[in-house]
Amino acid sequence: MNSNFSCKTCASADQKLETFISNLSQETSHHRVEGQSVKCGFGLQGICCRLCSNGPCRITPNGPKGVCGATADTIVARNFLRAVAAGSGCYIHIVENTALLLKKTAANKGLLKGKRALKKLSEIFEIKDADEYICAEKIADAVLADLYKPDYVKMELVEKMAYKPRFDRWKELGILPGGAKSEVFAGVVKTSTNLNSDPVNMYLHCLKLGISTGLYGLTLTNLLNDVILGEPSIRLAPVGLRVIDPDYINIMITGHQHSIFAYLQDRLIESDVIAKANAVGAKGFKLVGCTCVGQDLQLRGEHYQEIFNGHAGNNFTSEAILATGAIDAVLSEFNCSLPGIEPICDELKIKQICLDDVAKKANAELKPFVFEERAVQSDEIIDEIIDAYTARRGDIVLNMMPEHGNDDTLTGVSEGSLKDFLGGTWKPLIDLIVSGDIKGIAGVVGCSSLTAGGHDVLTVGLVKELIAKDILVLSAGCSSGGLENVGLMSPSAASLAGPKLRAVCESLGIPPVLNFGPCLAIGRLELVATELAEAIGVDLPQLPLVLSAPQWLEEQALADGAFGLALGLPLHLGLPPFVTGSPVAVQVFTQDMLNLTGGQLIIDDNAKTAAATLNEIIEKKRRELNI
Amino acid sequence: MKRIIIDREKCDGCLNCNVACISAHQEGSNFYTVNLQGVDSETRNFIKFDSKTGYTPIFCRHCDEPECVLSCMSGALEKDPETGHVQYDETKCAACFMCVMNCPYGVLKPDTRTRTKLIKCDFCEDKKDGPSCVAACPKKAIEVKEVSL
Amino acid sequence: MKIVIIGASAAGITAAKTIKALDQATEVVVISKESIIHSRCMLHKYLDQERDEQSVSFVPQDFFEANAITWLKNTRVLGLNTEMKTLKTDGNQEISYDKLLIATGAAYFIPPVPGLREATNVYGFRDLKDAQLLDAECRTAKNAVVIGAGLVGMDAAVALLKRGLNVTVIEMMDGIMGLQLDEKSAQTYQTLFEGQGASFLLSEKVVSVDLDKAHRGHLIHLASGKTVPADFIVVAAGVRPSYDFLEGTAIQTNRGITVGDDMRTNIQDVYAAGDVTGLSGIWPNAMKQGKIAATNMLGGSALYTDRYALKNTANFYGLTTLSLGNINPEPEENCDVSIRQDHKNYQKIVSKDGVILGVIFQGDIRNTGFWQYLIKNKINVSGIDKSIFDLSYADFYGVDKETGEYHYAV
Repeated sequence: MNSNFSCKTCASADQKLETFISNLSQETSHHRVEGQSVKCGFGLQGICCRLCSNGPCRITPNGPKGVCGATADTIVARNFLRAVAAGSGCYIHIVENTALLLKKTAANKGLLKGKRALKKLSEIFEIKDADEYICAEKIADAVLADLYKPDYVKMELVEKMAYKPRFDRWKELGILPGGAKSEVFAGVVKTSTNLNSDPVNMYLHCLKLGISTGLYGLTLTNLLNDVILGEPSIRLAPVGLRVIDPDYINIMITGHQHSIFAYLQDRLIESDVIAKANAVGAKGFKLVGCTCVGQDLQLRGEHYQEIFNGHAGNNFTSEAILATGAIDAVLSEFNCSLPGIEPICDELKIKQICLDDVAKKANAELKPFVFEERAVQSDEIIDEIIDAYTARRGDIVLNMMPEHGNDDTLTGVSEGSLKDFLGGTWKPLIDLIVSGDIKGIAGVVGCSSLTAGGHDVLTVGLVKELIAKDILVLSAGCSSGGLENVGLMSPSAASLAGPKLRAVCESLGIPPVLNFGPCLAIGRLELVATELAEAIGVDLPQLPLVLSAPQWLEEQALADGAFGLALGLPLHLGLPPFVTGSPVAVQVFTQDMLNLTGGQLIIDDNAKTAAATLNEIIEKKRRELNI
Repeated sequence: MKRIIIDREKCDGCLNCNVACISAHQEGSNFYTVNLQGVDSETRNFIKFDSKTGYTPIFCRHCDEPECVLSCMSGALEKDPETGHVQYDETKCAACFMCVMNCPYGVLKPDTRTRTKLIKCDFCEDKKDGPSCVAACPKKAIEVKEVSL
Repeated sequence: MKIVIIGASAAGITAAKTIKALDQATEVVVISKESIIHSRCMLHKYLDQERDEQSVSFVPQDFFEANAITWLKNTRVLGLNTEMKTLKTDGNQEISYDKLLIATGAAYFIPPVPGLREATNVYGFRDLKDAQLLDAECRTAKNAVVIGAGLVGMDAAVALLKRGLNVTVIEMMDGIMGLQLDEKSAQTYQTLFEGQGASFLLSEKVVSVDLDKAHRGHLIHLASGKTVPADFIVVAAGVRPSYDFLEGTAIQTNRGITVGDDMRTNIQDVYAAGDVTGLSGIWPNAMKQGKIAATNMLGGSALYTDRYALKNTANFYGLTTLSLGNINPEPEENCDVSIRQDHKNYQKIVSKDGVILGVIFQGDIRNTGFWQYLIKNKINVSGIDKSIFDLSYADFYGVDKETGEYHYAV
């Protein structure tokens, strides 16, 4: 292991975590920020092209075009579309696997825990069978059929899923997506050497990918998972490094595909498995949440209280979680499974098993999840983890941090559980918005990154600014992991809100930041927004609703962002998505988009000014609604 | 005096020094927003490359015996006795470009737009963190060091 | 020690400055016929009214006070006694020196053409005084004639055109700036000047000038028989070193004061620098000579080894040109001439057996400083496997790891 790593770690909004990490003997991402602090200007602006052997070409005063003649506008658009296509591909992979799992579960007459989700999907898809297994299978088939369509055949569920005014606008713009996988394919082809050079055409393709990503990759993944695993319900739960209990055999899970763990998480609490754990001196097994799949488990934690010990932290907390020494295995099936966990796992003898080869870690065992072999596979995994536990415990010094995090994070918020909480209707929330007690809603979503001030620094800073302005924050993604660990999702955080929002929160006993869970739950925010818009009778861009991905990290976030813009929402990003080298890109994203979809990109890495901008937008929309 | 010391072996030709230099002289810009395409986007440092010599960073040396200063017929170029840096006063310059001709290392150039000004390294004298190019070099191929005159 | 410097232009001022930088205690007296320090290279900027008396200076206004230098302005030196180490001024002052630097420069030359020397409206373009006289003429005149299309003549032409005059340039050679340019690059400039209203009479010789009653030249007769009307005439036909006051001394001269590499004359404690030496007519070289002379007067040992003088730049109407060395080789020299051009640039490289003899870069002159080194040091570049146009300092790159200074690795 490289022992020359920087002794300077980056800042974190989570002071306790920052201290914990800075004292570690292991290198983490937080240590590596310093060594990567000098950034390439061409990369930041998106004006480096490596598409052919004439390159890499960079836009400079002496070279204002690539060798092929590509302008900064073309280069930026190609790079951006490539990134969005890759990000879309990630989410489409997730929904494809989830749909396949639902299909097989239903065909096997397996347990379907989410009856309401099943009913809701049946209604949306207009499936009228009485048998829930047949319904579930038909639902899965309908999703898969759309995903596998060619790009020249429009997906059928878009019209059923989307809010009508949005669907109409998308149709006008010609951005209704064909088969989701094929659209990714087409996007990649467009961006290859000497093919598409039209930035606007490519940005419209991004919007198409945004729609397929959002409706399928996000919204449907949530609902399909709900069918298999049960719907979220609101509860208070512990979060942070404190959730790790060294008396148990602890498995950290990373990824985005909750249903892959459906069988295992039930199996781990069966008596014969607990007996195995007891035999080696452990009280049993516990799953420790990390990244988005941890958020998913937390969201549905009501159903998994015995096996799930809580969500420890987001993507850039994963190395710290492992460094406690009390994690015995990492099961990963998707991102964010940082390469940085590998040397720590090696050093601390932590067993790494990958359940999906798209997320194969270099030093991990690959055991691709096969539905038909789930029982055997689960037992093999259990035995291997027990072996790891036996080999490592006693040998590895524990470095626990029980004071990190809190015990009262409000979790389990979803479009369904929130509406239930409000009494089965959105009216109370709408009334609060109309009265101004809640000035507006900000969906603070996306990832955690170590730039824009440091780990979760901008996210936490922005959220504090927003709630102080009486704006209710709904969070989904790794942003939630940071926000919950610093206590903003605890009811006591109401004291940080503006007077009106504070009063609302205190009377309801809720925090001013509501935790929708993983980034997939951006789809749930879309459902909430749509239902609110429907109830009021307006289109989405008219709502006093803004989106922010203050610390967007990766390509998936850009695909999510494209969805946000397609929905016509103002979207704030802390750092620009490598497009500022193109005047056309800047024009399209910050100005022209308003006329296309109603959306708008706002770039600002300053929490105060960004919050002020978002506040102005909300107030403007309120004025336009005469409220 | 302080001089930018070059370790050419470390240079990877990323041109971040160019970007930093242009940005440092484009008011209000940063790495995201700096306009690299405008006619006024002038870099004061240069990276040359060929297969034999590799990357060669060519940066103003603020020479001990600056030929440019000894070429200047307007008094626009002066070697600051305090800092040792050769500073350029645009208001005095008569744009004869004798300095361009006499810089033995070809570091100097007229401005592209008007050819009435010299484009020359000012050691980012107005920036408290020192030369922007040095801060932007990911390889530390250029570093500011104190050298004796 | 007391050092007296005669002349307050490039060489004189640089010497005074160098002395004071090296040794504050040395007494320095500068004697100049001018009352305003100015850069002759900026006279056209005065004449075209872009700059005033102050802003054609190349030193700060408080230069003499700040450096504790005595300045005798408006003063001419009439005679010199090298044995007594004294000199006499037109103010009848006798000034003693321990060491003397003669940096009196050169004066313009008016060819012995009937009428030209006699006319009261014929001017050189050498000093601020000339520019001031021309400025007065510009206020009433319509037609200006410039005799000589060298750099000085063209400088004058630029300013006169900007003043709105009809400008005719008469030149003996068949192109303008014949010492610095070749046919192609000269033509480009000529076209630019013509676009601004200038007329050119090339391959023409002035044979006489008709004078009116006030002894003003008003009609110029050319060898071809053509005549050119003139309200005033600028003569830019070369200069001669100024050292009349040396008469009666033993100081050796030969079309200039003879000096060694250390800038000493043949007489103890008498140095000379700048145009008066006849070594070079360009500003940078004069500055360098002044600096070297100053160093040596204080006991140092600097040598003027870089005598390369075939170099110049031009910048007219936004078109810049660098010209170095032999740019118009004769056919019998058997040189290789490489030319590269596009719609904005003209580049010419003259070489022989891998050694560069001369270059013209017209248009883009970015980063061209290294060419001079290659030419004056006769660096053989034939071993460098690339187009000669692609050469740069990078091909001769050398860095001192300690000091960070560059040098040529050749």
